[in-house]
Amino acid sequence: MTDIDALRRAIREADPQLSRFDPLPRIICLDDFDRGMCGWTQLVGNYEETLDAMLPGYAQHSHAMLSTLPNWDFGSHGGVDGSYALKIATRPKKGAQNVAIKRLTFRKPGPIRLEAYFTFKPEATDLQLSETDIRSFGFLYDLQIGDTSGPGDRVMPHLRFLNAEDGQHLQKWQFKRRTTPIKPIGHAGKTITHYHLAPDDWEDLPGGEQRLCYNEIPTKVNWHYLRFDFDLGAMQATRFQVNDRVFAMDGFDCIRIPAMKNLWCMLNLAFFAETDTDKRAFAYLDSVCLSGEF
Amino acid sequence: MLPENLTAVVARNESWIGEAATEPYEAGWAKEAIVFVRALKQPKGPLPKARVEISADGMHWCHEGSEFALPASKDAVTFQRLAHFGNFVRVAATLPDGAEITLLVTLHLKA
Repeated sequence: MTDIDALRRAIREADPQLSRFDPLPRIICLDDFDRGMCGWTQLVGNYEETLDAMLPGYAQHSHAMLSTLPNWDFGSHGGVDGSYALKIATRPKKGAQNVAIKRLTFRKPGPIRLEAYFTFKPEATDLQLSETDIRSFGFLYDLQIGDTSGPGDRVMPHLRFLNAEDGQHLQKWQFKRRTTPIKPIGHAGKTITHYHLAPDDWEDLPGGEQRLCYNEIPTKVNWHYLRFDFDLGAMQATRFQVNDRVFAMDGFDCIRIPAMKNLWCMLNLAFFAETDTDKRAFAYLDSVCLSGEF
Repeated sequence: MLPENLTAVVARNESWIGEAATEPYEAGWAKEAIVFVRALKQPKGPLPKARVEISADGMHWCHEGSEFALPASKDAVTFQRLAHFGNFVRVAATLPDGAEITLLVTLHLKA
């Protein structure tokens, strides 16, 4: 460790907001939702001329919220720090999904690190624990190389915690290598679409079983830490950690599709929730830290 | 710091028939809101008033008291100003048989 690394670490560890993260040298963003939405928005699907052209997977998406995690039985839960967290809520229909996304570009194709504190719960419509009502919580990157760096791909690493499926409490991390077929939109030849969060083609991350704390009634939550390291040069994941567990990533891969003519240096990050019953699934984030080595 | 200000699209290209409402939206941080409703297609049948509803928990809803017209033709826009609405808010309507409207509903919230 150099002197500058030691100094940087000391400064960060003395800052309560940063001390709970282990960022790489350059912090790209530290999104504490007590400062608003911090650039997290809806993942809207592509369309041309009419919104009817949007794939149904995207049409269901709605805007994330600034939430105090309010509950009918004990009131606001609050965030890890401060009053607010980002809330991603699905519709109350089995299989429904919702996504919050932040859209950036990168300046150096090197290592990046995503860290977040997250939790999830179903809407507390029943006086039951309801631990199998959420299907999954997950996150993804949508990445593409720079315009002069080619040839290369558009690369979309996806990871989800498959909490439950058809009432079975499965609790394991999964990844995805395939998206739906690419479909042109409209007639101008400018827009295409595909639904990378389709329910098919998820694969188990080897050794990815994990029993997360989910507390004992449908309203109490506990926050979890996640960290995902990715190398934008090699377009490979290098490390994945959730709470005390670090998962081997040799069996992991990403969705890889041909580079598109308009997405150079894209660095999008997104979090999502899926429900396994006709009940809303809620995923919460507080906070998100994206850092890089550049 | 400037006060928080958010445009949230809470219904996009949704067709309403019968009992209909937007998804619950948490906006406890906001002191005021304007709801805009735009018809994306030509509505069918007699349109009722839309109503604003509020909730303590996002599950049990009360009529807040505000009512406003739904847009009567494609691309027409209506709106309602709101203040003091607590946390959860939504727009709801009860459409009679034969009535249908395809909507864009946006909440414009300010702290």
